[in-house]
Amino acid sequence: MTSARNIIATLSPLLACLGLLAVWQVVALWLDTESFPTAWHALQTVPQILGDPEQLLNILDSIRRMVIGFSLAVLISIPLGLAMGRSARVSAFFNPLLMMIYPVPKAALMPIIMLWLGVGDASKTLVIFLGVSLPVIYHSFQGAKAVEEKMLWSGAAMGLNGLQRMLRIVLPAALPEILTGCRTGLVLALITMVTSEMIARQSGAGNILFNAMDMAQYDTVFAMIIIIGALGIVLDAAFDKLRWRLVKWAEPHQEILLGAS
Amino acid sequence: MRDKVRKLSSPSERRSTGGRMQVPLRPEIDTGTGATSDERARAMIEIDRVSKRFETSGRKSHLALADINLTVNDGAFVSILGPSGCGKSTLLYIVGGFVAPSEGVARMKGAAITGPGPDRGPVFQEFALFPWKTVLGNVMYGLRQQGVKRTEAEAQSLRLIEMVGLKGFEHFYPKELSGGMKQRVAIARTLAYRPSVLLMDEPFGALDAHTRTRLQNDLLNIWERDRKTVLFVTHSVEEAVFLSDKVVVMTRAPGRIKEIVDIDLSRPRVRAELLLDSRYQKYVVDIERMIDDGRDDAEHP
Amino acid sequence: MSTQRLATVLMGALPILFVLAIWQALCSFGFAPPSLLPPPGKVFLRLAQQLGSLGFLDDILATMIRLFAGFLIAVVLGVGIGLAAAVVPAINAVVRPLVQVLAPLPKVALYPALIILFGFDHASKITLVTLDALFPILLSTYYGASMVEQKLVWSALAAGTPRWQILFKVIAPAALPSILTGCRIGLVISCIVVFLAEMISSTDGLGHLLVGAARTFQTVDMFVPLITISLLGLMLNGLLYGLRKYLLRGFPEV
Repeated sequence: MTSARNIIATLSPLLACLGLLAVWQVVALWLDTESFPTAWHALQTVPQILGDPEQLLNILDSIRRMVIGFSLAVLISIPLGLAMGRSARVSAFFNPLLMMIYPVPKAALMPIIMLWLGVGDASKTLVIFLGVSLPVIYHSFQGAKAVEEKMLWSGAAMGLNGLQRMLRIVLPAALPEILTGCRTGLVLALITMVTSEMIARQSGAGNILFNAMDMAQYDTVFAMIIIIGALGIVLDAAFDKLRWRLVKWAEPHQEILLGAS
Repeated sequence: MRDKVRKLSSPSERRSTGGRMQVPLRPEIDTGTGATSDERARAMIEIDRVSKRFETSGRKSHLALADINLTVNDGAFVSILGPSGCGKSTLLYIVGGFVAPSEGVARMKGAAITGPGPDRGPVFQEFALFPWKTVLGNVMYGLRQQGVKRTEAEAQSLRLIEMVGLKGFEHFYPKELSGGMKQRVAIARTLAYRPSVLLMDEPFGALDAHTRTRLQNDLLNIWERDRKTVLFVTHSVEEAVFLSDKVVVMTRAPGRIKEIVDIDLSRPRVRAELLLDSRYQKYVVDIERMIDDGRDDAEHP
Repeated sequence: MSTQRLATVLMGALPILFVLAIWQALCSFGFAPPSLLPPPGKVFLRLAQQLGSLGFLDDILATMIRLFAGFLIAVVLGVGIGLAAAVVPAINAVVRPLVQVLAPLPKVALYPALIILFGFDHASKITLVTLDALFPILLSTYYGASMVEQKLVWSALAAGTPRWQILFKVIAPAALPSILTGCRIGLVISCIVVFLAEMISSTDGLGHLLVGAARTFQTVDMFVPLITISLLGLMLNGLLYGLRKYLLRGFPEV
């Protein structure tokens, strides 16, 4: 019975995907314009793009930058967020600055950063880094703040020093929240990557999209949308699986995905 | 014991004990079995062979209540007592119409209960006040739902708020009140729409001992004024004996009625006197023993 | 208490001043040529000048129209669908998998398709803003509404509330804290997305100003729209915070 429920749980997103593609197909057939290809056409174009070495390299380059930017952001943001959550002074110091940065569109920094660091990997990675940092800091902060004081007292009574308490008590206790932040950050990394490439128009997946549009290769445009969309959904689902494994013990709680950078 | 109770609830006896009664006298004790047509007329709530089964995961299910028969007469204060998880709250929710029984039927004034209604007012352990409304707004809510005009509803609610001892707190929000005060608001909110029956689900369970005692006293004082029918769920034996005319002792899951004890103590009840009363003490000890027996049964089947 | 608060404020002002100081120092000591990093004074002066010019205000207006239209549509759809899904199991069964698929989808990737379908003007940008702001609002509404304390509903039913009114009289107000949290997230996202969309392809709006300035290497003019949209975001966030505080005055820990 539970397995049946599991099957439904895994199948229903797939059904939703099929449903969306079907709606697309019907609308495209009904509109019947060259600029809006059918879902079937777009899907057929996907292997062509992935089979073209140049395009594939472009996309893989994007993903590489995304992974580096994401990893760097996570490595720096988690300690910072935890420190803010456990020390009122640290949080009083950083909070206003972070609040100021919060509404700044990170991908919009691309032209300015390109002025400084050139058009290479460094600027693209930096923008992704900036995009990912905030949600990870925020969630680590919330997670660390919510750790029960008495748990820390027990730790101190067992002879753990400050750093050990941080690593052995605060970090695991805040882990569910941290991983929620990382999941949001991962989706944001992809969004920032695509957006900054759309703005910079130098290389990468976002660039392929708009180049194809300029050249009226609408099949390619929609195929790229499918590829990027699938990437987002797969990354998110994979991370959710990982998270579920790491924090099986945690009570399920609500998650709100922040959706843009 | 049954005979004693019958004697006590005869009108003459009543008059001598219940000094502040305003409503016509109603004999209220009935054991719930073999009701004659005369007794049926006085029945406020009848629970007729009610069982409740909860579907858990898949094909498994959990029997919470098994074959409950109980009649509560008009004006009676009846407590349902039992260990946690015996389904006593579920029984109350069935009478409230919040939960449907799996088998059997619950009736209110002879009509089958199909859903919640303002004739049965609940008071929950969790208070369940509307956080977005003030004390006054909460108390007025039911009256406004009944179509009472705003000014009239406000006047009635202010009187009720004063009665539960919260004069001056009308415009406070629930979050600004202590637990005891919140429960007073919840009681006022329910009394406001004049239900025929009060359904109290461990109402004082979340309060500290001192607040609990005070609220018990205040509840009895309020109850003495109009003698509404009360169905009161609790796991405290002292509370049940102190408040009730009749204590229904339930067994551990699946919940069955183990015994119905008539509490033959005069009213109005004064806590200080009662605690020294050997009959009160005997009720408490007897009922505690009953519950302990049940536990042994469960542990050594 | 008040001195402590003052200390907290000062503590928070420090890093902001610090950033401004470094920015100024980089410029005045010649580490960064003005063509790459204009001094802060110059940027803010320019911003003040621009706020007096009609052309700039037109661009702000264009951005705000897209921002608010997109955000408001997202609020209506998000709250509506969220509440419906929380209350009606059949709707939930359809909405849940769709949201599961669409929420992590990078909406900006759809932007080219939206341009193809709706053209370069307002409609495609408004749609993008709506798509991005929708899911945080929808999800927080859904969670808020499905976690409403059962006994609140029972209390209202017992007080004589008809079943169909429960949604408006109990569930929606009880879910209000969640709904407003979602709206705050959605609003900031709207600000960001409208700006990015204008950067990617537009003929007016703040984002377009940045791209135009970047093409001609007018660094001062690149900073001005960026700071404007950030200030706009901060202000709207502050407004919504105030509204939230007022609306939720009865709720614990706002």
